Amino acid sequence: MKTNKTIILLLALVASISFTSCVEDGDFTVPQSLGAEENAAVETIEAELADSNSGLTEISIANLKDLVVNGQATEITSNIVVKGYVTSSDETGNFYKEFFIQDRPENPTSAVKIALELVDSYNKFNIGRQVYIRLNGLYVGEVRSGDGVVTIGGNKNEDGDEVENLSLSQLENQLFRASNTEAIVPLSVKFSEINESHVGIYVQVENAQFPTNLAGKTFVDANDRFDTQRTLQSCDGFGFTTFILETSAFASFKFSTLPAGGGTIAGVISKTFNGSDLVLALNSNLDVKMNGSKCTPLDINDFSVVVQEDFDSSIDNSTFNFPGWTNFAEEGSELWSEQVFSGNGYAEFSTFRSGDDVNIGWLISPGIDMDSQTNEFLNFQIAQHHLDSAENTLELFVSTDYNGSNVTAATWQPVSANLPVPSDSWYAFKDSGLVDLSSYSGVLYVGFKVTGSGNDQTLDGAYMLDDFKVLAQ
Amino acid sequence: MKQTVLAVLMFCFFTIGLQAQNTVKGIVVDGDSEKPLKDVSVTVSKNTAYAVKTNQNGVFILEKLSNGSYILQIKLEGYEVQNFPVDFSGNSIDLGTILLYKDFSIDQDLSLITITDDELNDDASAADNIAGLLQATRDIYLRTAAFEFSSSFFRIKGLDSGNGKVLINGIEMNKLYDGRAQWSNWGGLNDVLRNQEFSNGLSPSNYTFGGVLGSTNIDTRASEQRAGTRISYSSSNRSYVHRVMATHSTGIIDGGWSMTFSGSRRTGVEGFNEGTSYNAYSLFAAIEKKINENHSINFTSIFTPNRRGKSSPNTQEVFDLKGIAYNDYWGYLNGRKVNSRIKEVEEPIIMLNHYWDMNDKTSLQTNIAYQFGKIGNSRLDFNGGANPSPTYYQYLPSFSLRNDDLEGAYEARERFQNDGQLDWNRIFDANITNSSVGLNNAYVLYEDRNDDKQLSFNSILNTELTNNISLNAKLEYKRLRSHSFAEVIDLLGGAGYLDINPFADSMDAMQNNLLDPNRIVGVGDVFRYNYKLNSDVVGAFTQAQFKYNKVDFYGAVNVTRTTHQREGLYQNGRFVNNSLGLSDKIDFTNYGLKTGATYKITGRHLLDANVAYMTQAPTIRNSFSNSRENNTIVEDLQSEKVLSTDLSYIVRSPIITSRLTAYYTNVQDATEISFYFADGVGGDNTAFVQEVLSGIERNHIGLELGIEAQVTSTIKLKGAASIGQFTYGNNPDLYLTSDVADNGGFDSNFRSKNYVALLENYKLASGPQNAYSVGFEYRDPNYWWIGATTNFFTNTYVDVAPLTRSANFYEDADGLPFSDYDPELARELLQQEKFDDYMVVNLIGGKSWKIGDKFVSVFATVNNLFGEEYKSGGFEQGRNANFRQLRDDKALDTPVFGNKYWYGRGTTYFLNVNLRF
Repeated sequence: MKTNKTIILLLALVASISFTSCVEDGDFTVPQSLGAEENAAVETIEAELADSNSGLTEISIANLKDLVVNGQATEITSNIVVKGYVTSSDETGNFYKEFFIQDRPENPTSAVKIALELVDSYNKFNIGRQVYIRLNGLYVGEVRSGDGVVTIGGNKNEDGDEVENLSLSQLENQLFRASNTEAIVPLSVKFSEINESHVGIYVQVENAQFPTNLAGKTFVDANDRFDTQRTLQSCDGFGFTTFILETSAFASFKFSTLPAGGGTIAGVISKTFNGSDLVLALNSNLDVKMNGSKCTPLDINDFSVVVQEDFDSSIDNSTFNFPGWTNFAEEGSELWSEQVFSGNGYAEFSTFRSGDDVNIGWLISPGIDMDSQTNEFLNFQIAQHHLDSAENTLELFVSTDYNGSNVTAATWQPVSANLPVPSDSWYAFKDSGLVDLSSYSGVLYVGFKVTGSGNDQTLDGAYMLDDFKVLAQ
Repeated sequence: MKQTVLAVLMFCFFTIGLQAQNTVKGIVVDGDSEKPLKDVSVTVSKNTAYAVKTNQNGVFILEKLSNGSYILQIKLEGYEVQNFPVDFSGNSIDLGTILLYKDFSIDQDLSLITITDDELNDDASAADNIAGLLQATRDIYLRTAAFEFSSSFFRIKGLDSGNGKVLINGIEMNKLYDGRAQWSNWGGLNDVLRNQEFSNGLSPSNYTFGGVLGSTNIDTRASEQRAGTRISYSSSNRSYVHRVMATHSTGIIDGGWSMTFSGSRRTGVEGFNEGTSYNAYSLFAAIEKKINENHSINFTSIFTPNRRGKSSPNTQEVFDLKGIAYNDYWGYLNGRKVNSRIKEVEEPIIMLNHYWDMNDKTSLQTNIAYQFGKIGNSRLDFNGGANPSPTYYQYLPSFSLRNDDLEGAYEARERFQNDGQLDWNRIFDANITNSSVGLNNAYVLYEDRNDDKQLSFNSILNTELTNNISLNAKLEYKRLRSHSFAEVIDLLGGAGYLDINPFADSMDAMQNNLLDPNRIVGVGDVFRYNYKLNSDVVGAFTQAQFKYNKVDFYGAVNVTRTTHQREGLYQNGRFVNNSLGLSDKIDFTNYGLKTGATYKITGRHLLDANVAYMTQAPTIRNSFSNSRENNTIVEDLQSEKVLSTDLSYIVRSPIITSRLTAYYTNVQDATEISFYFADGVGGDNTAFVQEVLSGIERNHIGLELGIEAQVTSTIKLKGAASIGQFTYGNNPDLYLTSDVADNGGFDSNFRSKNYVALLENYKLASGPQNAYSVGFEYRDPNYWWIGATTNFFTNTYVDVAPLTRSANFYEDADGLPFSDYDPELARELLQQEKFDDYMVVNLIGGKSWKIGDKFVSVFATVNNLFGEEYKSGGFEQGRNANFRQLRDDKALDTPVFGNKYWYGRGTTYFLNVNLRF
């Protein structure tokens, strides 16, 4: 009897163990809690930002960059958070231990680099992902002193002039992903327009191509150990504007052949190792869509000149008074002037020490008969000096109802051209590009309108105009 | 001494003088079944002249015994020895019915099989263990090697376990791939695999020529299984945590049928090493039909699917931070420890055996077996993500320290100590993040698969030509069709994985299969590599054995023909012309000769000597230098030549049993292929390389001693020693292959130049070369016993990296020595690491009861009682391939690419409860 009991007990034990002790060694269910911690952290940030008493405030990327003291890794000691959208990806290996964020998914105005101790960060901080960085205790500055790329880092070097990568724990504790990923709409730019303010921004350039002498070459030259620079070009008026495409020797597409055609290219604006030049860096070679035909620059022989003024008859430092032209001060008393430099005459409008709070000066061309030819284009050379602010504008207008004297009574339609920006070199004339005027008829006037100030030093720059032409094809 | 002589003289005098008519008789029956036992030996102590055996009815009668006090000893293999004190004074003694109980100590082999299960299956740990081969032996030295030494990766004679052949019903089970037996194919079936015949070393077996280490033939005939039912439960903290096993054998029933069924389940969330899950089922059925007196047919089927979590070798830096049970293969997933590297073996065996007893003298056994199924080794691939291994060198403090980054080192240390496991959540997050924006997986879980189909057929003839001469002969054919590939197990939250090798330079070269480029694979898809290996072996063996009063001797001859061929199913982008389709066929004709003799000085003192010379075809593993990617055959591939000889002195007295053996084995023309990532190849280059080492000579020389003394009827003292020296005997040739052409020291055929590895006199990494054991056993008449042993291990060496012992070590790209080469320092750097000596204490104990007609036994073992921490094996990482790399790395306090080790287990237990009826 006792024996039977023992056996029954034993059998029960045996059975219970064999049926209950399953080893779930092949269960790869997606973890339910995935991202919960991070989502909570983001919610906390958003709640704190909404609560004015929390002490946490948001800083824009542009304002954050203003905190940088030149040549120093600057520690952030206040309770601030920056928000941004990822623009770069290290999926192909073209970026390494870094990514950029810009302030808006569309029409961005500013971007900043994040240096971090993480490889293959693309599979965490994917393009378009909204991220928050709690900046307290982090550093802003440059990874390589003088390279001009403002970067958020986790530490500073011994000399205090460079930031170092965010550590893995800093990443966990200070860098948070929101759940949303936004479509990054590339900022459409021309090569000639790209400047320092675009660093880190995802841009797209139309009508781009590689020069013919690079035919058959690969993105990276096999002899280059780190990276290779390839020239990009885009047709602009009678010539090309060029830009640099820089690709890492660690990029997976390094030995893919450069496309032979023309089309668009999209990438992130960055700088060379030492910061000497702006470059375009690809997230992937799939962002190069040059299947179309290559553009060719305009040939001057195909055009006839309708109107041309080279301003070479200018008298240096005199008020502009070329016949047929209108020189008009809408605000203040400053007028356009004639200038001569090294024998070259040009027209200039400068509000420097004008004494006026606001100066608005117009220079209006003689009337152009738009009916005796077709396919008219406007072209001119334009430069600036001492231009500090985008508010210190030059605007280009045309009018068909201007009566030759009453500027303000006429209807002025804005037209776009390749105009100077503050980052351009002073005094360096650049081509306006061809401004298509073919849709106008009758008598057309072209107006250059400058807005500035004699008392505000950020608005007292000058614009220089030369080689005004109207061409017809 | 004088007294002994006197006593012997006195004794002789008495026995001669007082020859009286004393008689003793009795009937010996099985204590369980109460059936009479025949052939039980009954001896009167101190005089073997008075020895008889019981007849079919279990009856024995000993007559004409002289007066005096004696011990009557009743003995039968597999049963406990019974001793009866008897006093003769001219009378007749009837001992009546003597119950002989089965020897419970045979249950000890349960613990042995635990060891076997643990180590033998795990080809990822350097373990190459012989324990399984030795289960059936009674030899004290071999038993000690199996029980006490095996957990230290001890190797008998310093030889690879492939030198021991394992047969089931006459069919050799050693894999053609690497020559080793895959123990997990029949793990968990201990109850039904007890009938084993072991031939040690070169000594003859009736079933096979065998290897240098001998052979074991496991007999699964249902009629030979002990009738009855047996249920057992075991608990352990070594590999599995629970095991239940049930076996039922019918014995011979009506119509000449016999049947045996067995099943077991082994489970464990983790063993001694963290995250080493264990999940195994075992099923066995054998059915035998005795057709008539001469013919029997036995059908056996074995199915033992099992899944085990593997554990990693680690550098000393890692062990120091995380302890010896640390394993970097697992991480928490949904609150459970989940191991990324699971070995799954599912290779059913079916076997049909025909036994034909032609007459009293001659039998013919014909066997056919088919084995199929799969072996899978899972792991993570990450062509779109960071290396997930928490011990990846860049994540460890030593890496930061190398860069003088103290802060980074501190942080790495904190992170590793506080976490330091695989981050499954990050892996899932990466895949989900990628799939949410239409990108391919960063990570994927896949398995390296080996799907073998092997057909084996053989016929074995045994005949007694005369009373003294017997002849064995065997013809065999083996046909292996093996399919190797990688298969996706789980996408881990992602949508698809891109099948490319991102380390290649061009898009074409990145392709693993140019026939289907840039393929995105999902669960169940084959990717990375895909090929077949075909092997055929035809063999013949014959042997003559001679047995005479004074001397036994034998001679055996073996001839085999082996062919190997690879067939690539993918066109690899790195080997466009050399990966798809059939390779050349390679074939080898091999032979073996052996002979030996046993000279009986007296019945208790024997001399035994053997010598063998054999050639062995290279295994498939060592025939193709990079079988996953191309058809390249190892250049100038040779058969191994093995010369082996041994000489033994054996003592078998009632008190002392002992064997002392001296042996020498010389292996020539061996080939070894290894794979690793090397830093510093052909100057300052890095590459993933295949290293082909050929023409290797190895010397194995040493002494084996086993001694056992039955001090009293209950106490036995045991001792064993193995003193060996296992070394490289020459400087073998070395070359490298890789997937780099015309660059970094590789020519247009992806091959390096020829090197010579200066390995002569370096020690082989074959476990402890010296091992010693002393211990005792106490066996109480009340059916309990206890034993303890202390084991010492010395002269364990790290596995050296041959490439660093070649000219590549000191040559710059221009072929001249490095300008800063320092031979003194080089010598120091290339010194082979010798591990610390260590001592391990093991305990064993058990008890058995008879309750009604059922038997219950319990036994337990404790291994490494004092928790000694010791390195059981290790290897040099091939990464620091040249002088500069190695110098710079070793100059660090904690090397970044230091040697990797396996540590022995700490204190572990094994407990077994067994019920039999």
